[in-house]
Amino acid sequence: MIFNSEISGQQEHTTSPVVTGGSVIALVYNGGVLVGTDTLCSYGSMATFKNVQKIAQISKNTIYVSSGEFSDFQQVVRELAKIDRSALQYDDGVHPSPKDYGNYLARLSYKKRCKINPLYLQNVIAGFDNDKYLALVDIYGTYLESKFITTGFASYFCKAIISNYWNENCSLDQAKQVIRECFKVLFCRDCRAHDVIQLAYVDAQGTHIEEPERVETKWDFNGFKYRANEKLHTQ
Amino acid sequence: MLKHLYDTDCVTWSPQGKLFQVEYAMEAVKQGSICLGLKSSDYVVLCSLKRQPSELAGYQEKQFKIDDHMAIAIAGLTADARVLCKYMRTECLEYKYTYESHHPVGRLVFKVAEKSQHKTQSGAKRPYGVGLLVAGIDPNGVHLFETCPSGNYYEYKCQAIGSRSQAARTYFESWFHLFEKSTLEQLVLHGLSAIKKAIMEDEELNEKNVEVGILGKNQKFLHLNAQELKDYITKLEAFNPNSQIQQE
Repeated sequence: MIFNSEISGQQEHTTSPVVTGGSVIALVYNGGVLVGTDTLCSYGSMATFKNVQKIAQISKNTIYVSSGEFSDFQQVVRELAKIDRSALQYDDGVHPSPKDYGNYLARLSYKKRCKINPLYLQNVIAGFDNDKYLALVDIYGTYLESKFITTGFASYFCKAIISNYWNENCSLDQAKQVIRECFKVLFCRDCRAHDVIQLAYVDAQGTHIEEPERVETKWDFNGFKYRANEKLHTQ
Repeated sequence: MLKHLYDTDCVTWSPQGKLFQVEYAMEAVKQGSICLGLKSSDYVVLCSLKRQPSELAGYQEKQFKIDDHMAIAIAGLTADARVLCKYMRTECLEYKYTYESHHPVGRLVFKVAEKSQHKTQSGAKRPYGVGLLVAGIDPNGVHLFETCPSGNYYEYKCQAIGSRSQAARTYFESWFHLFEKSTLEQLVLHGLSAIKKAIMEDEELNEKNVEVGILGKNQKFLHLNAQELKDYITKLEAFNPNSQIQQE
């Protein structure tokens, strides 16, 4: 990706990401909304930044997570925090609700997409404002409110697990178990996934971002240990 | 009084610390016909007296819907009011486009006040000659604001502006403690009673010269139609605020 607008006189737009974050899974449970991501930012196929917090708290009752270009994620966090701060100047105690952030982000994404210079992200906004709120804003600016959201490879590998083990009235612990199971599968199947994940949830009491945790993995299968089926090049 | 030495423009202070041009602009508001607003815990009601320039003309409307959750009543220069009304409507539309929710009321009044203040600090501009009563509902509750040409704004439980509004305010002072718990019907009747205090001796309230707008937590802004106004004006005869006290 070359930025040579001064040389060629033509403006180039970012059309492929450089440092990327992995899948995001978000589920509504009986008391609020739970979100999970891994803590990896990849530089192409290299697992470069392994301890990144990709869950941003935008306001007291809103979290923002995304998968895709990480610098765009950081920029969006700045933009959304700007809105929250600028609400202070009116002295009226009115703060944007999670829905306001979701819609704002949708308009922003759509505007940038129209200029063929998108925010290279699948965005997830989760919040609790009298009721649970969960929405996806994709790279085109499509805005969809939903009870569960998966981005990236999670859309392919995890929907079956979510479909079988989750419903929107389950408990927080049940929802956490479902997400942990999903990331276990992702770590096995997605080349850009990581085994350290981070969960966060929003409920009536506010936002809670948990410490990163390692998913359970099992590697001591007989097939790996004894390699009985492999033909070794020793002969 | 050497007022004439200091009242040519907005950029001249008087020795007493007054800006006479701004004060003169407030006088324009007092020349407009009366409009008033009052609120309970669930509703805001705006009532105004419409003027008819001549027998051949229609009555000048004084209440305008800004958005589903907000409306204004004006007193003063109608042309200036149109400008502010258009500004408020545009702001509400843009907010709705970006956030998909209603513009917080206090915030819009603040923006109008900023705009008004701007006109009081320039040599080449004049203040807006109109006062607005802004009624609105937002997550913070039910609101009634007054804006002035000076750029100040205040929140009220009930307020009347325009010509002979003092009579209406005196009525409010006696009865405003009942408004919080009033029903919508009681609120409208209080509003009409207050307007009645402010009309001239030979004038009469009828469905043509009075305008009533209501706004509620589950009620988008609505103008009462001619039949509803007639019914309320008829009920006015029998209306006695004292009976409301006995209910509580």
